[in-house]
Amino acid sequence: MKKLLFVLLGIAAISSCQKVIDVDLNDSDPKLVIEAVYTTEDSTVRVQVTKTSNYFDNSNAPSIDNALITIIDQSGSVQTIPSVGNGKYELTNYAPTFDSNYTIAVTHDGVVYTSTTVLHSVIPQLPIFYVYEQSGFFGGPGGYLAFLNYNDPATEGDHIYAKYWRNDTLVDDFQTDDALTNGNLVQIPLFATFFDIGDTVDVEMRTIDEKVYDYFEELDGASDPSSAAPANPTYQWTNNALGYFTAYGVSRQEVVIQ
Amino acid sequence: MADIKNVIRRRMKLILAFAALLLTQVGLSQQYTISGSIKDSSNGEDLFGAIVKVKELENTGAKANAYGFYSLTLEAGTYTLIYRATGFDDLVKKVELKENMTINVELSLPQEVQQIEEVQVKGVKENENITSSEMNVTKFDPKDIETIPVIFGEKDIMKTMQLTPGVKTAGEGNSGFFVRGGGADQNLVLLDEATVYNASHLLGFFSVFNSDALKDVSLHKSGIPAEFGGRASSVMDVKMKDGNNKKFGVSGGIGLISSRLAVEGPIVKNKGSFIVSGRRSYLDLFLKLSNDENIRNTKLYFYDLNAKANYKLSDKDRIFVSGYFGRDNFGFGDQFGFDWGNATGTIRYNRIISDKLFSNTSVVYSNYNYRFTVGSGDDGFGVNSAIEDVSVKQDFSLYANKNNTLKFGVIGMHHTFKPGALTGGNESFNEIVLDSRYGIEVGAYIQNEQKLSNRFNISYGLRYSGFDLVGGKSYDFDENGDKVAEDSVGRWESIKYHQGLEPRFSMSYVISEKNSIKLGYNRMFQYMHQLSNSTTSSPTDVWVPSSNNILPQISDQIALGYYQNFKKNAYRLSAEVYYKALQNQIDYRNGADLLLNNEVEGELVYGTGTAYGIELLLEKKKGKLTGWIGYTLSRSLRQFDDINDGKVFSARQDRIHDISIVVMYELTKSLSLASTFVYYTGDAVTFPAGKYTIDGVTYPYYTERNGYRMPDYHRMDLGLTWYMKDRKKFEHSLNFSIYNVYARENAYTISFQENEDTGETEAIQTALFKIVPSITWNFNLK
Repeated sequence: MKKLLFVLLGIAAISSCQKVIDVDLNDSDPKLVIEAVYTTEDSTVRVQVTKTSNYFDNSNAPSIDNALITIIDQSGSVQTIPSVGNGKYELTNYAPTFDSNYTIAVTHDGVVYTSTTVLHSVIPQLPIFYVYEQSGFFGGPGGYLAFLNYNDPATEGDHIYAKYWRNDTLVDDFQTDDALTNGNLVQIPLFATFFDIGDTVDVEMRTIDEKVYDYFEELDGASDPSSAAPANPTYQWTNNALGYFTAYGVSRQEVVIQ
Repeated sequence: MADIKNVIRRRMKLILAFAALLLTQVGLSQQYTISGSIKDSSNGEDLFGAIVKVKELENTGAKANAYGFYSLTLEAGTYTLIYRATGFDDLVKKVELKENMTINVELSLPQEVQQIEEVQVKGVKENENITSSEMNVTKFDPKDIETIPVIFGEKDIMKTMQLTPGVKTAGEGNSGFFVRGGGADQNLVLLDEATVYNASHLLGFFSVFNSDALKDVSLHKSGIPAEFGGRASSVMDVKMKDGNNKKFGVSGGIGLISSRLAVEGPIVKNKGSFIVSGRRSYLDLFLKLSNDENIRNTKLYFYDLNAKANYKLSDKDRIFVSGYFGRDNFGFGDQFGFDWGNATGTIRYNRIISDKLFSNTSVVYSNYNYRFTVGSGDDGFGVNSAIEDVSVKQDFSLYANKNNTLKFGVIGMHHTFKPGALTGGNESFNEIVLDSRYGIEVGAYIQNEQKLSNRFNISYGLRYSGFDLVGGKSYDFDENGDKVAEDSVGRWESIKYHQGLEPRFSMSYVISEKNSIKLGYNRMFQYMHQLSNSTTSSPTDVWVPSSNNILPQISDQIALGYYQNFKKNAYRLSAEVYYKALQNQIDYRNGADLLLNNEVEGELVYGTGTAYGIELLLEKKKGKLTGWIGYTLSRSLRQFDDINDGKVFSARQDRIHDISIVVMYELTKSLSLASTFVYYTGDAVTFPAGKYTIDGVTYPYYTERNGYRMPDYHRMDLGLTWYMKDRKKFEHSLNFSIYNVYARENAYTISFQENEDTGETEAIQTALFKIVPSITWNFNLK
C-alpha cells in the first residue's frame, strides 16, 4: 500500500518535496533495552543490554555491564551468561534441545526482567533456483531472479526469517509465516535485486518462534510514517524492558548464477 | 400497586401532552389544503428546500420535500403566496382559498428587467436561516461554488464542504473528512439514498462525486432528522440531477486531470427526463506517449458514470431510476493490478396519496469492492473483497395542518460482508476465503415539525434501529485478543442482535426577524465500522459489522446556535457550540493485521470519546462580493484502557483552530475572481520520545499516543473564471486556478529516520503540492 501511494504521488505531484526539519521532542526517562539471541549454529547465547537515549542524541547508546544474566532451559537448569564488556554478554558451547522452552532472566538495579521463547526444529532449505526475467517490476532492465524454497511442514504455525547476500553483500531480509502457505512447497522470489551471471547468492533461513515473528512485524510497523498510530511493539520482557529474546536454528544455501 | 398506577398515570399524561401538542391550533373554522410542486422553469428540476410563504400570516408556510412536493393547510380566505428558492426570482400568487387546490409552480432565474410584482416581494425578508427550525445544515448547489478554486481544477463538492466550520479535511488535497470530532467512518454518505462506502478516487485526492451530475448536497452536523440513521457523526445527503424535462442539452468540460460529458433531455416533454453523465481521468493517456515500454504499460485512471431517469405516470405518481458506477484502475502490465469502486442503484416511486399525504418507496442497491492481482496465469494470485447492501425503504410525509408536518417510515437493509479471498494459480499459496458475514439492519422513525407560535418552532422525533448479525461463523476472544471459542450458525440464524432508541430534537426561537436561537439534540447508533490503519483513506479499508465482540458505536450530541442577519440580510452570522459524547469507539492492538484476517475482531480494542467546540461563520450572500469566513475552535479526545496507559489522548482529528476564508468577486459580467485561504493548527500525531537499537537498526521509542502536533497548515488558492460570449445555444467558460499560490511547504508527513550517510537520526518532512496551476474549459450546449 505504501509503495502504491508513493508511486501515485510521484506521478500526481508536480512538486512534492522533502526536507530535514527541527522538531522539539520531549526528553524521555531512559528505559532498559535487552536484545538476547541464542543461535544453535555456533551454540552461543549473546545478550546486549543498553538504554534508550533521546531521539536526536547521536552519541553511542548507554550500555550496561553490571547486569546479572542467566539462561534457564526447560528442565530448570540455570547457567550464567558472563559479561564481555560494552554491554555485551556471551555464553558459548551451549548445547541446544530443539522444540523446548528457554528463558533468560536479567537482573539490573534490583529489577528482574524475564522472557521465554521456544527453540523450534530447523526447517531445511532446498537448493536455490533462479530464472531469467525480461523486465523488472515497475520498469528497469531484467536479470536473474533467485528463489528461496522449502517444504513447509504440515502443522500450522511455522515462522521463517531469511536474509540474503549477493557476493557477500547483504541485500535484504524478510520474514514470513505459513498462514497462506501451510504444508506447501514454498517458493519465495528474492525480489530486492536481480542477479547477474557469475554472482554468488547466499541465503540464511532461520526457523523462529511466533512471538519473535510478531515482535518484528510490530517493530517494523512502529516506524512506518503512514501508520495512523505508531506505538512500541508488545513488550517481550517482564517489567516492560524493550527488546526481545530469540532462539533459532539456521539452514543455509548458496548458488552461483551460471 | 399504587406505584404502578402512578407510573401509568404519568405515562398517560405524557401521551396526552404529546397529543395536545399535535392538536394545538387546530381551529374550528373550515380548513383547506393547497398542495403541488415547485420546479425550476428552465429545466423542470424539482426544487428541494424551496419554500412557500403566506404573506398575510407571519411565520406560516411550507417547504418542498426532496421531490419538490409541498402541502399547506390554511383556513378559508384570501392569501398572497410567495414561492421562493435560493438563486431564483420569487413568484407571487394570489389565491382565494375555498376548496382544496393544486398549484404547481415553476420558478425562474433572475431577469434583467424586474417585474412589477417584485417590488411587492422585496417586503418579505430573506431570512429563512433565522426562522426555520432546521439547524446546522450546510447546503450547497454545485452551481454556486463553481468558481471556487480547487486542486487540479477538479470541481469537488466534498472539498468545498471542508471549507465550512466543523468539517475538517483528512489531509492535503484529500476528499475524506471529519465532522465535529467524529471519525471518517462516522459520516453517512448517501447518493440518491444509496450508501457510498468509499467516496474517494485516487487514494482520496478526488471524490467520487462528479459535480455535473449533482443537484445539491446537504450536510447535517447536528439535530439530525429521525429519517436518517446508521452513522454516529453526520449525514451527507447527495442528490443527483433529474435531467431537463423541457429540452435536450449537452454540457461538459476538459481539465488537466479529467474530462466530463453530460447529456440530458426529456423522455416525454414535461413528463419525464433523463441525464447521463460521465467522467474519466486520463493521466495514463499521457503515459502512453512515453518512450519507455514500462511506463507505457502503466495503468492509472478512474471513471464515473451517473445516470438517472424519471417519469410522471400520472399527476399523482412518479417513478425515478438512478445509478452510479465508478472505478479506479491501477496496474502495471501483467505484473500487478489494483482496481476498486462503488456501484449504486436506486428505484423510487413517489405517490401523492392525498393532498396532505406524500409517499415514497425506494429499493436501493449498493456495492463496494476492490481487487488486487499479482502476476498472471499459473504464477498469479489475487485478493478481492466486497461489501453489498440491498435495502427497501418506505417514507411518508403527512402535512397534518399548517403547524404540523409529520414524517414517518421504515427501512430494512441486508448487508453482505465479504472481507476477502485469496485465489490464484500460484502453488505456493493456499486459496483462502474469509468468512462472509451477513447483517440485517432495520429502522423505523417518526418525526414531527411543529410551529408552537409565531416565534417558536420545534421538531421532535424518535428512531428505532436494530442490527441482526446472521449466519456463519463467530469467534470469542479473551482480553488479550486471543481466540477462546468458535461457533457456527445457519445462514439466517441470529448470532447477535443489537438495538437502540434514538431520540432527535431541535427547536428554534425567533427573537426578531433578524436573529434567533436554536437548540438541537440527537442520539445516533452506528452498526458498521470501518477498519483502517493508515492516515489516508485507502481502498483496502474494511467494513465490519457489530457482533458478539463489537458493540454499536453510540453518539449523543447537543448543540446550541445563535443566528443573526445584518444589512438587509446581506450578511449572516452564526455561532454554534456543541458537545458530543461517543461510546464504543474502536482502535487497534499493536501490530494489528487487518488484511485477510478471519479473526480481525481480536485485533480491536474499545474506548470512549468526547468532542466539543464552537463554530463561527460570517457569510455575505449578496452583491458583487460574496463568500464566507469560518472559524472553528474544537477538541476531540479519546480514552481506551488498552492505549496510552488508559490516559485520555487527542484523536488524530483533534485540530484546535481552523480558519477558512472564501471570497468570490464578480469583476465584470464575464469575469469572476475567487480565492480561498485556509489556516489550521496541526493535527495530533505520535512522535518518538527516544530511540534504541535492535539488530543494528535504530528504532523510535514512544511514550504517548498523539502527544505531539504537526506544524500549522496554511494555504491560499486563486481562481479566475472567464465566461465567454454567451450565445443563445452555446455558452462556455475557461477556469484558471492556482493551488497553493505562495508555495507553502505544508507537512504531509514527518518521518523519523537515520540518515543513510551520517547514521544520525533526523526528522524528515514531506510536503506534497507546492504551486499547482490548472486550467479547465467548460461548455454547455442548450
